[in-house]
Amino acid sequence: MATTPLAFLLDVTRCIDCRACMVACSAENNVPMDDTRIWVSGSGVLGAFPHLQRATMPYHCMHCLEPACASACPVGAWTKRDDGPVVYDSARCIGCRYCMNACPFGVPHFDWNRGVLEQPLISKCSMCAHRLDLGEQPACVQTCLTDALRFGPRDEILAEAKRRIAARPDKYIPHVYGETENGGTSYLILSNVPFEDLGLPLVPQEPVNSASEKIMRGTIPFALGWAATLSAVAVGVRLRTRGRDQTGEGGAPSGTDPDPAELPMKDGSS
Amino acid sequence: MDERRVPPSRRDFLKLGGTSLGALAVGALLPAPVAQAARLHGQVNARGDGVVHTLCEMCVWRCGVLARVRDGRVVKLDGNPDHPHSRGKLCARGQSGLMTTYDRDRVLQPLIRVGPRGGGVFRKASWEEALDLTAQKMIEIRDRFGPQAMVFSSTHNLSQTQFENLLGAYGSPNYGTQRSLCFNSMVTAFQLTYGIEEPARNYDEVEYILLVGRNLAEAISTSETGALIQALDRGAKLVYLDPRFTKTAAKASEWIPIRPGTDSAFVLAMIQVIVSEHIGDCDFARQYIVGCDDLPGAMASYTPEWAETKTGVPAETIRRIAREFAAAKRHALAHPGWRTANFVNSFQTERALATLNAVVGNVFEENGCLSALDPEASGVTLGKPPQPPYPRVSAQRLDGVPWKYPLVPLKLGVFQELRDAILSGQPYPAHGWFISRQNPVLSLPDRRRTLEALGRLDFMVNVDVIVNDTAWFADVILPEASYLERYDPLAVVEGKVFLRQPVIEPQGEARSALWIYRELGQRLGLGDYFQYADEEDYLRQQLAPLGVHLEDLKQSGFVEPRPTHPRPDRLVFGTPSGKIEVYSETLAKAGFSPWPSWEEPPAPPAGQFYLLTGKVGQHTQFATQNNAYLNKYQDEPRLWMNRTVATDRGLQDGDWVTVTSPVGSVRTQLLATEAIRPDCVYLPPGFGHLSKALRTAYGVGASDSDLHVSFVDPISGGQALSQTFVSIERG
Repeated sequence: MATTPLAFLLDVTRCIDCRACMVACSAENNVPMDDTRIWVSGSGVLGAFPHLQRATMPYHCMHCLEPACASACPVGAWTKRDDGPVVYDSARCIGCRYCMNACPFGVPHFDWNRGVLEQPLISKCSMCAHRLDLGEQPACVQTCLTDALRFGPRDEILAEAKRRIAARPDKYIPHVYGETENGGTSYLILSNVPFEDLGLPLVPQEPVNSASEKIMRGTIPFALGWAATLSAVAVGVRLRTRGRDQTGEGGAPSGTDPDPAELPMKDGSS
Repeated sequence: MDERRVPPSRRDFLKLGGTSLGALAVGALLPAPVAQAARLHGQVNARGDGVVHTLCEMCVWRCGVLARVRDGRVVKLDGNPDHPHSRGKLCARGQSGLMTTYDRDRVLQPLIRVGPRGGGVFRKASWEEALDLTAQKMIEIRDRFGPQAMVFSSTHNLSQTQFENLLGAYGSPNYGTQRSLCFNSMVTAFQLTYGIEEPARNYDEVEYILLVGRNLAEAISTSETGALIQALDRGAKLVYLDPRFTKTAAKASEWIPIRPGTDSAFVLAMIQVIVSEHIGDCDFARQYIVGCDDLPGAMASYTPEWAETKTGVPAETIRRIAREFAAAKRHALAHPGWRTANFVNSFQTERALATLNAVVGNVFEENGCLSALDPEASGVTLGKPPQPPYPRVSAQRLDGVPWKYPLVPLKLGVFQELRDAILSGQPYPAHGWFISRQNPVLSLPDRRRTLEALGRLDFMVNVDVIVNDTAWFADVILPEASYLERYDPLAVVEGKVFLRQPVIEPQGEARSALWIYRELGQRLGLGDYFQYADEEDYLRQQLAPLGVHLEDLKQSGFVEPRPTHPRPDRLVFGTPSGKIEVYSETLAKAGFSPWPSWEEPPAPPAGQFYLLTGKVGQHTQFATQNNAYLNKYQDEPRLWMNRTVATDRGLQDGDWVTVTSPVGSVRTQLLATEAIRPDCVYLPPGFGHLSKALRTAYGVGASDSDLHVSFVDPISGGQALSQTFVSIERG
């Protein structure tokens, strides 16, 4: 399996909002009719007649280098593959939707039509990871008739983006969105209009999860520890009570609080 | 109708629409097997997995398709990298094709109407019965009224040659196509000027592009749209004329929201600047243009200052663009356009565009951006089954060609006039209408008249994959296999021969057009015109002169045979003079202006608006709105109105309005937007379906065919789709 990190390049100046990518994605991934993994984001018609401007882009998962969804997930349902895609394992998902809250780009969405027992629960772009395994490009890239979407090794894609900016400084905003946003993403975007006009959030360069991760990673161990504590207390109380009941005397204190330092919290694993 | 002959039981009646329609598509519940041919040829394995090379049919561009099959079901369509039109890519419509094949509203059994016409009650019939009935009715009409009393109509598709064969063999002169609603003005103008139907565009070295209403980002031809964007990325300049800020306008270097109907004034003024300032390619002009010396005189009055009064575009802008265009010389391209049925004067716009390209010399040069080499001249001539000559036709054509419209090419016709002749019964009554995959109830202007015309017919038969709005009124519906289920005649593109072949077997009882027309031909006593045993036999006869086996095409979907005749290596203009006829003696003799010239278009009275039409990138004409994917990804069809105008009228985005024209009115929701001129409104085409058998599309949007007034350009026969004026009221 190739381990070269791969990435998308979107050149907004070439996107004509034809939506071939959206249909290709839906067909390739058998996305339910009431769902979509790509949506059109854009500026709308800006300005006043006749001085108008309009820019559009297919918006989907950014496939962050340090994905907040994965950090937020208490059960490890999200994995950042070495070759780029952030993929989802519905079998692990418990439907808590922490990933939806964590994602700074607002990408993962919940399938409200399905019960918790009907998988999958969370929907988002997978970078067509199953196609990458076959050496193919994602379905959206393959069908993009204006080549607004390209795909390849992230370092080469980033170099191409910078080459385009250097060649046409009059045309592009001098920044590759996703190079550093949220610690870097695998969806790199070139634009002639401000990125916020496209509906892209202004996110810090530091991954949003770097702060939260230390805390979030402790969620389960902390919960387990707290549960253990309460259990221990409960057991101790019962033992004590039973001992009392049985002996009529106060038993030895066998249910002392565990030493917090002994909780698995400190190794940070979940 | 012959209900009495075969009394159907009540449970056989099908009230189409609503939930009962599911009974129609009953065949779809049983998975259609993978195409036997594909399995035999090894493209699909025993488990039903594989890839089959075929051709798209979601529009007329016919891209190459790689259809992926899994467990015997088509799961994904990709563009064929070897096809010059797809180049590995498919547009939203092409990607959606599997939903046309697996549409829950597919008609999968022959149907015979039992209730009143348009009541939507049909009964299932066997092919035997449906074909026998159709042939019997067609024979009755031929015997009683002559073959001219049977009208045939169809729209661009690969089986059209065999449809036309049926028409020719039957002996009717009456053939309706969509062409007069689409490109009559373009084709007629370029035929008269260059002697070819449609010059090819070459974007490889283009530096300056003028698109006059050619909305390539939404009226998508996969390869050409891609080539345009590639050229713009390279730094080519795009000047785009359109009253709407379309998705093409959003990519243009310069968008000019020109006054509707005045494109020809803009282009004539460009020609005037170029010839009066001698900045065109004079050597080329002298050698190849008829009327070269007199052109400056003929254009003298069309100054940019004059054009400003017509177009609303400043004279200086027109002059600057003319100079820039001329400076680009053979790297300039003024696109001929495609659906050019806008105003009665659109023919003059097209003549002016043909002239503009000629005066800068981009037509002739090797790699010139407009190639006058006929793209049909591919160097490959296919074979065909032997057949006797067609019977001589003596009756006049109902559409007035050529007796009323002497310059309209016979193959183009005047469809709206044909409809009116059915209605008036002049010069003689029509009694039957055979319609193949066409939807005139939505495409023809003035829908009320179209429906009235349908009411005059004794017999109406439709061939289609769904019960579209026209089939809804038919007496017999013959279910055609979808394009992923059938063979069609071969397609030749740039010297390559492409094959449409079945990916899966037809669902239900659906059959190919090749089979349907042959079966009908045999029943009409015209079997000699359909001398092929089956679809593969037809294809083998087509391939015979090329020395190519059908099996050779199946694997890759195409072959590139040795040319059967050499491609012309230099330009031969197919005009009477063999040159570019900017001055046209043919036009002069017919009593029209021999020069490209200005014809004043009508303008809306105060308080009314131009009603504009124009494509959206997710649909093809009137045929794809029931496709579930395209329905999912389309914009809600609303009436565009300039935001300031809407505000002045107390209207807001989303308000319901009634749109009224001289021939009808519709209700629709408003889209208040900056993206349209204040004197125009725009209704996305293809919505407002009448057929309740289209459960996805029914009830969505309104149809501009309810509003369009019928107009006929006397030269080209083209309908003027933007010449209808409407008033807008709340409610």
